[in-house]
Amino acid sequence: MSTQTAIFESAGDLSAENRTNLRNLLIAIADTKLLLGYHYGEWTFGPPQIEAAIACCSLCQSELGHVRLLHGLLNKHCDEDPDRLVCDRAPEEFANIPFLDSGIANWAGLVAANYVVDFAVTTLLYSLKDSAFQPLHMSLEKMLQEERYHVHHGKGWFRTLALKNEDTRTALGVACARALQDVAEWFGPPEESAERQLLEAGVKQEGSSSALARVFAEIGNSADELQVEVGLHKSNDEWALVEETAWQDWDSRSRRVRQSQPDQDILYHLRGNKNEVFKLS
Amino acid sequence: MSDKIYEVFARKNHDGALVHVGSLNASDDELAKAYAWTMYDEENWVEMCVVPRDAVIRVTHDRKIPLWGN
Repeated sequence: MSTQTAIFESAGDLSAENRTNLRNLLIAIADTKLLLGYHYGEWTFGPPQIEAAIACCSLCQSELGHVRLLHGLLNKHCDEDPDRLVCDRAPEEFANIPFLDSGIANWAGLVAANYVVDFAVTTLLYSLKDSAFQPLHMSLEKMLQEERYHVHHGKGWFRTLALKNEDTRTALGVACARALQDVAEWFGPPEESAERQLLEAGVKQEGSSSALARVFAEIGNSADELQVEVGLHKSNDEWALVEETAWQDWDSRSRRVRQSQPDQDILYHLRGNKNEVFKLS
Repeated sequence: MSDKIYEVFARKNHDGALVHVGSLNASDDELAKAYAWTMYDEENWVEMCVVPRDAVIRVTHDRKIPLWGN
């Protein structure tokens, strides 16, 4: 929780450390939303129902809109060029939730991306809703309103696959367990220094541990009710990963403990490299 | 869990009629709400509802005189 009440109208009002911390955090959120948008777009074709296909198209559209908004903030306040962020970075510079690095193999995986990964990013955004950094505070309301639809859709499909049959329930559990591990890694270790500085300045209003606990509670309670094994256990009324994250190699910029990155193939399609010749600028 | 058919109704203005705008398939009421929101978003509706087709009680059909159960 913030210990001061100053507000910041621009990133120039923040300390140099917090300008970097904010930049890294916004890039991590935007990268995750960019990859989420890509996968939702891919799954506009192939879901089990035409209704779900239309929903994926809508989810894609809103995620890409959020990316545009976040890139606008990064451009104005952190001197980042949106085109460079999308097209001219090495894959290892991306800081998305690792679950989105590769193609999503089946519908259970897409549901895990929607219910676990998308919800996790939204939960982190809630910790910035009342940010002392005013440009961010002013930008989040519409984004969070749209995200309520995303979680509703994800939760609906989580319930549907959990109840359909043993095979779909198992596939769902496997995908969600992996997504939860990757989400925990992305949220980072407790008491991490960049996060502590953002909290002290009031740029963030809730620590990652607390936000992650809310993600675990949402998914853990749904999984418990529907008897899906997602790699969480409950102890003293709190949900936690069965397999804890080893933090010693965690990198605060990439938000990862391992050397991993989005697939070149995905970045190739996402960037539109094959249409380079048609670019307008 | 099998799909059900839902009918979607919506109202453009507070003083306008609730009109039928389409149908959809969904496995439960919550997904039906989600799908209606994305499939029938051509207007800025003031109200939108979904109704399981099973819950619609037919009064007449093909202009026939209703059978009143007697």
